[in-house]
Amino acid sequence: MAAAPKITAEPSYRDIDRSVLRVMEPAGLAYWAWIGFCFTLVAIAAAMWIRQIYSGLGVTGLREPVMWAIYITNFVFWVGIAHSGTLISAILFLFRTKWRTAVYRAAETMTIFAVATAGLYPLIHLGRVWFFYWLLPYPNQRYLQPDFRSPLVWDAFAVSTYLTISALFWTMGLIPDVANAREAATGWRKKFYTALAMGWQGTDRQWRHYSMAYLLMAGLATPLVLSVHSVVSWDFAMAINPGWHSTLFAPYFVAGAIFSGVAMVITLLIPMRKLLGIEDLLTEWHFDNLAKVVLLTSLVVSYAYLTEAFMTWYAGDPIEQMTFHMRYFGPWGWMYWVMVLCNCVIPLLLFSPRIRVNMRALWIITIFVNIGMWFERFVIIAGSLTANFEPSQWAGYRPSITEIMITIGSFAWFVGLFSLFAKFLPIISMTELKEGIVWLRKAIKMDRVRAE
Amino acid sequence: MSTIAIISSFADDTRCAQAIEELRAAQVGNFNTFSPIPSHKIEHAIGRSKSPVRWLVLAGGISGVLAGLAITIGTTYEWHLNAGGRPLLSWPPFIVICFELMVLLGGIFGFFGVLMLSGVPTTVSAPGYDGRFGEDRFGIVVRCEEAEAARVESMLKESGAEEVVRENGAQPR
Repeated sequence: MAAAPKITAEPSYRDIDRSVLRVMEPAGLAYWAWIGFCFTLVAIAAAMWIRQIYSGLGVTGLREPVMWAIYITNFVFWVGIAHSGTLISAILFLFRTKWRTAVYRAAETMTIFAVATAGLYPLIHLGRVWFFYWLLPYPNQRYLQPDFRSPLVWDAFAVSTYLTISALFWTMGLIPDVANAREAATGWRKKFYTALAMGWQGTDRQWRHYSMAYLLMAGLATPLVLSVHSVVSWDFAMAINPGWHSTLFAPYFVAGAIFSGVAMVITLLIPMRKLLGIEDLLTEWHFDNLAKVVLLTSLVVSYAYLTEAFMTWYAGDPIEQMTFHMRYFGPWGWMYWVMVLCNCVIPLLLFSPRIRVNMRALWIITIFVNIGMWFERFVIIAGSLTANFEPSQWAGYRPSITEIMITIGSFAWFVGLFSLFAKFLPIISMTELKEGIVWLRKAIKMDRVRAE
Repeated sequence: MSTIAIISSFADDTRCAQAIEELRAAQVGNFNTFSPIPSHKIEHAIGRSKSPVRWLVLAGGISGVLAGLAITIGTTYEWHLNAGGRPLLSWPPFIVICFELMVLLGGIFGFFGVLMLSGVPTTVSAPGYDGRFGEDRFGIVVRCEEAEAARVESMLKESGAEEVVRENGAQPR
């Protein structure tokens, strides 16, 4: 890809538009090869799923007592990844955080695709996927109704609400930007953006309603984002299974979700800014602030690990204590310590301001966080099931090739969708960047001073 | 007497807001503004009340809570599902459903409310709209009688308009 022209130290509105719209110019062969690669993996995963639907869940490694394993781990992981988007787009919007403007669109897009990926897993996990609608309340004559006391039903409501609200919030933010892209585009792209912009022209009447609705949507999305991962955590905490049954779970999961989500934003944005030539819009200042969120949430998660251990010891329940003993020192103990290393120890490097703005180091640290957070979910979900109340039932779990390929396919699905978005729709909000142009100018100056 | 549209563009929202205040002081009320960003200065200068979309969001939220109560209480009574002897009306879990539906309907009402109130989707372009107003310029389009045009033009220029042009045959909205 050709090197992007540097924007001036004092960018104007027009400079911002040009930099963002340039990213949306027709892509080269390398881009399409990448998309092809991603969707080939998705096709392989889809084939594996079809085989699983045809043959039954026996093709997975799921055996009593470990009936929740990689699929549910992936579900929780992807719902967690989704959280940073709403944190950045809604919660930080309410706090009027200056640095969010450049990163929020990418984070919000990640939310949509992460929830769309997460939403597949409960379906994939179903033995008879064609009955998925039994989870939803609807009138029927078969004495079937969802039990509203079940966290799985709360989950169906929470995740579908989250997907809907995130998609609406994201679409709303996109409308003025797409209208802007419409003016610069030609050919089929012009028709595409004209249709998406729905006739938006930025009149005072339109902005008046837009600003109010955006604020209210942010206000609604803020408790929603906290509720969604709390509800996901209650899928476990409401069960009496040792290792799951804890009141700590909701805040513990929410902090973990923000931790992993922001880390994933950084993991995606660092290569993206380089490949798309938008280093002047996504400055080191932005990454410095994102890294601080990762550091803060890492400390919260570390505290939760300690609290969990303390509560188990203090409560004195021998079965709970045995489960935790197995978690720390059992056959899968190495996973727990990998998780501690990745989530608690390595992020401490972010206390160094120099590391926070060193893109290579930051990228590597966030990859460790992603790995650590995946292991965290696996340790909690599958690990807790291996050592249940009855030692005679204790058993291990080994994922099958079906589960592994579907997992890889889901990562490819997420990255492929994100890559498609980055090339066809504005990956940075031009409108919000213009609103906070003073801060962008300061950030560019700081970057240049640091580079000199 | 025919109506014309006077299209003016400004480099920033401060001057644009100043021009709006001048127009309002001179009792010229039939104008429309365009801007690349939502501007509080322009909003204050125009002086309209807060958007009614907030009432739609409230209505959506209340509908969501009521729908949540109806669906949980209604189905529980309809089927009398006994789950381990727990009370039929289990409020704490029902609150989760009510909360999610409150957010869901509040958000849906807000989104479609803003579209409805903003007049989108539409294929009709507002008179005087220019692509630059989405990029980096702030625009005011005044519709007035031809006899008034000279006065309005000079007002806009004095407020700092970079460009003031006339468009004949514009229809009042």
